[in-house]
Amino acid sequence: MKAERVLVIVPAHDEEESLPRTLAALRERAPALDVLVIDDGSRDGTSRAARAAGVPVVRHPLNLGVGGALQTGFVYAVEHGYDIGVQFDADGQHDAADLGTLLAPVREGRCDVAIGSRYLTPTGYRAPRARRAGMRMFSLIVRMATGQRIADTTSGFRAYGRAVMDVCQFDLPQDFPDAPLLITLARRGFRLLEVPAHMHERHAGRSFYTLGKTLYYPYKNLLASLMALLKRPQSL
Amino acid sequence: MHFLSRTQEISAFCAAALVFVVLELVRRRRLSEEYSLLWVVASLAMAILGFFTPVLQGVTRLLGIRYESSTAFAFGVAFGILMLLQMSVQLSRMSRAQHALTRELALVRHELEALRGPGGAAQGHA
Repeated sequence: MKAERVLVIVPAHDEEESLPRTLAALRERAPALDVLVIDDGSRDGTSRAARAAGVPVVRHPLNLGVGGALQTGFVYAVEHGYDIGVQFDADGQHDAADLGTLLAPVREGRCDVAIGSRYLTPTGYRAPRARRAGMRMFSLIVRMATGQRIADTTSGFRAYGRAVMDVCQFDLPQDFPDAPLLITLARRGFRLLEVPAHMHERHAGRSFYTLGKTLYYPYKNLLASLMALLKRPQSL
Repeated sequence: MHFLSRTQEISAFCAAALVFVVLELVRRRRLSEEYSLLWVVASLAMAILGFFTPVLQGVTRLLGIRYESSTAFAFGVAFGILMLLQMSVQLSRMSRAQHALTRELALVRHELEALRGPGGAAQGHA
């Protein structure tokens, strides 16, 4: 069997401090995988940090959001003939040791999108109460929309098969690719599967989900989730 | 030409002036035809309601509105809302285009840097 080519896509916005450790962990734990950093319009030395680690960087001149960065990674992956794209946060929250578990179901053809979930097994991560409530709500929406039970709809640790990347390079929610993306993919007939994953505290810097976005995020995601249910899939 | 009030007379002439301003902007290529359509329709409709009192009275009766001035006001507000909505649609479209271009630019630049080799890669970057 031909070995699949895997690209680990690391969207990064002002992650100069966290990035070196994240990239070092990836190199140590998954030396066989190619890594690409998408610098999403950072104003610090994110690109420099990636290059110093010997990792190629695609640098957005403007900040497009996590989804925009991920989409650039998909375009790159498809153009360069990768079979699987892995979304991996730059802030060190994900454990590179989980990559094998995440990739296995996609490689074996058991699903099209594998989602690294903090909630499948006790992994020590405990989100704040408000965030837990929000996650339960989005989990419920995804379940009602797709019939699939996804506990961790906001996980930024996912593996996408080639067919999914083919579609997502043209059509992907730009700012938060969470529940709305899962609903869109499920409606397109892609199979989603959650696998257990570990979640750490971020190394440094600040989260994409900053205070200003705390109110906007649930509103936007709720609206986008409902719209994902109603919208006609974009023809390709 | 019979006007019911001075207000109707003023708004009729203002609407007529707006029609000319919009057409002039299109002629000078300051406003593209695509965006001018709603403006022309709106200002023409307001001018017709202003200059032709029987039309204004007929529309007012038809809509069950008590005063003619309220009809003119309602039309103005409705067109304002339509224009704002159209602008939001255009803004969304431009935002999508901007994202696609940003992505394309970033990827092309990446390819260019790869072609230049490590020496020329980091010039002028954060």
